[in-house]
Amino acid sequence: MPLDAELARLDATLAHDLLRFGPELLLCLGIVGSLFAKLFRAATRVQLVPFALLLTLVALGLVASDAQDSAVFGGLLRLDSFANFFRVFLLLTAALVLALTRLTGLPDATDSADFVTLLLGGTLGMMLMASANHLIMVFLAIEMASLPSYVLAGFLKGKGRSSEAALKYVVYGAAASGVMLYGISLLVGQLGTAYLPSAAESLGAAFRSGGFSLSLTAGLLFLFVGLGFKLAVLPFQFWLPDVFEGAAAEVGAMLAVASKAAAVGLTLRLLFVLFQHVPIPAVTETVSAALAGVAVLTATLGNVAALVQTNLKRLLAYSTIAHAGYMLMAIACIQRPAAAAVLFYLAGYLPMTLGAFAVVAVLRSLTGSEEIDAARGLLKRSPVLGVCTAVFLFSLLGVPPLAGFAGKFQVFTAVYRTGAFHAAGGHPWLGTLFNVVLAAGVVNTVVSAGYYLKVLKAVALDDPTDETPLGEGVAVRLYLLLLTAAVVVVGVWWDPLTDLTWRAAVGLG
Amino acid sequence: MTELGLTHFLILSAFLFACGLLCIATKRNAVGILMGVELVLNAANINFVAFTRYLPGFRIEGQVFAVLVIVLAAAEAAVALAIILNFYNNRGTVDVDQANDLKG
Repeated sequence: MPLDAELARLDATLAHDLLRFGPELLLCLGIVGSLFAKLFRAATRVQLVPFALLLTLVALGLVASDAQDSAVFGGLLRLDSFANFFRVFLLLTAALVLALTRLTGLPDATDSADFVTLLLGGTLGMMLMASANHLIMVFLAIEMASLPSYVLAGFLKGKGRSSEAALKYVVYGAAASGVMLYGISLLVGQLGTAYLPSAAESLGAAFRSGGFSLSLTAGLLFLFVGLGFKLAVLPFQFWLPDVFEGAAAEVGAMLAVASKAAAVGLTLRLLFVLFQHVPIPAVTETVSAALAGVAVLTATLGNVAALVQTNLKRLLAYSTIAHAGYMLMAIACIQRPAAAAVLFYLAGYLPMTLGAFAVVAVLRSLTGSEEIDAARGLLKRSPVLGVCTAVFLFSLLGVPPLAGFAGKFQVFTAVYRTGAFHAAGGHPWLGTLFNVVLAAGVVNTVVSAGYYLKVLKAVALDDPTDETPLGEGVAVRLYLLLLTAAVVVVGVWWDPLTDLTWRAAVGLG
Repeated sequence: MTELGLTHFLILSAFLFACGLLCIATKRNAVGILMGVELVLNAANINFVAFTRYLPGFRIEGQVFAVLVIVLAAAEAAVALAIILNFYNNRGTVDVDQANDLKG
């Protein structure tokens, strides 16, 4: 009986699999714990964020000490070096966002249990997104990451704008995930399996036996619609600015960094695994060309729309759309060196974006405003905050020697090399295409100077409307200085991180 | 009278999917949009269950998928209804065209 043999095999590896799944189980413990804490009256007055922070750091330590590479739970998840890179990244982001919420006082003691539950739940879903190895896990992980995000967007009590942000997010998000599920159902039926490596073999066989059928093409298209929505690339970017403007800046930081990183991880995994058996010149390059086009349009739209914004959160929202465009330029190459460049870009993106959102959150908690005018004369009112803001903005723009420059340099180099590779490999039009993408990337960077420097001018040159010192706490300064240091270190000292991203990219597919 | 085959179920699910998308695109009431999403999810479920019946080697997986999707649809509806209620408490309407404070 093959079923018995299969069950015995699953049983034998269960203890080992659960051990490797330990970090995720710790997060589950935190979620259940904070749900139960609501039952006891004494516990409702306790601030739970520090406990969650501790738990996240322990989980981070567990992942960092994990160097194995294997599929667990009968192949549903794949915990390899690629997945581990994202698990570390996501836990680190969750820890930093939790620390930020303590500094800005977003959830008060009565709400902290709910906030912790949602944040840890979302992080758990994102970690599953990065390690999913089965189409149904892909869908479940996306939903696990999305549902808490919808609620977090509406977390500001009694604020009409926050509830509007949550409404828009949930309506668009539910529609996108429904379409994605329908695509997955078509794919599963056509390929006869949902296990990604076998699905890739069926896909290769289907292609060799005379091209893709209509339902296979539709299934793939719908799957990428869902991913495009999570990544917020054109034409599925419309929800992001509204959600970011309505939600609290801390939540915006979580969505901008963690949610986007998880979507990038899942997209890379699906592209590399699903198309590995499809002959290169045909489908892979159609996909490359389509993705490259989407990447250029996304970056351009993000940068042009950001030029006219006056609200800091909305400006940063368009800036994250533009950065997703830059990352998609390298994702479109579908080559391992380019994937490593994307991972490096993400590592630099984490401190600079989180830092920019943290500055907005601090400004809101101290001045009550999130407009650019609130940042006027920040350098005079609080030199530490002003200098940190300037570093984050220069890094987002891509000025050397900061993290943003290092990331952009690696991404653009990867795009250039891909173009040269295709030109030498007998596909001159693809070579030209990637050179156009490279040029578009450089032009976009120049355009983005328009709005980053606008904020910088307000921070450094404009006279403050209110001359009094901002009076932020020492902890806030230390937090921002830590992120600033990370931005500088990633920008100056590339080698260790480059090694790490290479090893992660090799584990891919 | 021909035997019912996989194709018939796929056509049914495609029809349901189209109805769901149309509902999402045209309804202005947030609860109505949610109903459209449920139609789309159930269209996918019909696919899964039909594949279970007609594809050998997919006997158990399809049914497990269907059960998971049913649970997930319930969770999603719960979250979405809570958010819609929160919006209603702030605005006194569930018309998505009235959600126009955020733009630019």
